[in-house]
Formats: sequence, C-alpha cells, structure tokens
Amino acid sequence: MNRVKLLFFATLRDRAGAKSMELDIPADLTIQGLKDKISEEYPNLRESMSSVLITINREYAFDEAVIPTNAELAMFPPVSGG
Amino acid sequence: MEFPTIFSITEDEIDLNNLLAKVTLTSTGAAAIFTGMVRGATTRGDVHETEYLEYEAYIPMAEEKMRQVAQEIRARWPSIEGIAIVQRIGKLYPKTPTILIACTAAHRDTGVFEAARYGIDRLKEIVPIWKKEVSPGGEFWVEGDYTPTAGE
Repeated sequence: MNRVKLLFFATLRDRAGAKSMELDIPADLTIQGLKDKISEEYPNLRESMSSVLITINREYAFDEAVIPTNAELAMFPPVSGG
Repeated sequence: MEFPTIFSITEDEIDLNNLLAKVTLTSTGAAAIFTGMVRGATTRGDVHETEYLEYEAYIPMAEEKMRQVAQEIRARWPSIEGIAIVQRIGKLYPKTPTILIACTAAHRDTGVFEAARYGIDRLKEIVPIWKKEVSPGGEFWVEGDYTPTAGE
C-alpha cells in the first residue's frame, strides 16, 4: 500500500468537507484509478470527478499517470485567480 | 547581470510603488503594469453585484507556477528585464487591487505590453488560485475554463 496526502481546494473542499485527508492506496494506482476510488467512496465528490484537475507533487497530472510513493496529491476545479 | 523576478501570494495590500522600484534597473526605461481589482458592479454578461471576493491558493504550487509564468515570459520576450507577479488572497472588497503583473524593459516597443498581458492570461490558466464570489443573492466559487495539458 501507498500512503498519500490528498488536498482539496475551492468547490472540492466544500464538497469533501475537509481541507485534506490521508489515503491508503494500492501501489501503481493511476490518477484514473484514484478518481474511480474517490467516486465510489465519496458520493459527494462523484459529480466533480469529470472536470476536476489533479496534481501530483504540485504538477498537473493526467489519467494514465501512476501515483508515486508518499505523494502529495491535490484536487481542485479549473483555476480562477487574478 | 541577473534580472529581478518577484512572485508572491500575500494577504497584505499590494504596494505598487515598492514593487515597481524592485523591477526597475538603471537600464530600464519602460514598465507595463496590469492590475485587477474587485468589481462591485458587473454590467457585462450576467449582470450582478458583488459584496466581496474570497481568494484562496494552493500556495507552494502557486508560487512554482508563477515562477513558470515568468520563465515563459522571458522565453518569449528576451528583452524583458524585471518581472513582478503578486496575487493578494483573503477577503477582498470592491475597488481593492487583487493582482499585479509588472514587466519592465529598456524601451516600450520591446514587448512589455504583450508580456504583461501574457502574464495575467497565463496566471488565470495555470496558477492554482480560486475566488469565491459573495453577492447579496448568495455565494459561489468562480471556476475557470482552462484545462492544463501535460507539461504545464
């Protein structure tokens, strides 16, 4: 297993009801696999998974990317700074 | 000589004069500054009033992405001397400046205007900052419409 930290921002934080959580995931889980897992375990977040942006260690990550050991992950909507 | 690049995410008031001084060198003759502020009354598109905006950021990643925006500006406009990118976060009321992008160069015809424009456009695409709009009718998170691709 791989223990990772998952951060939430903006709408994702509101829906998750938390700023972050620690998560045990299988080794070699991909971003797509993570989205599937979150959709299954956190119904409040299911709807967000189609448009969510996900980062691994502060870089944008895509569906096929494998999550490395002890990664810092984040989930958030398209950005709106300025 | 090393050109100054300043980027920060702050809860403090944005000090334009101080920032401009930091990106002004003896060789500098032009600066293009973009600043955006909280708009209290929106008349274009969805007409509405804004009580305040509440900004938040994924600070360590936002700082890295601001650095990347600055690098992209330098790659496109090698004549740029100083770059300052500052985002204010927290609860901000109408008329309050929220963002400042300043680019300096020796002369005005070297791409400084385009560089500052690129800086604000790019920040709105890839730098992880969000704002929640609070208006008399309720509140909602503003979401952008850009999806970064691999390598961004």
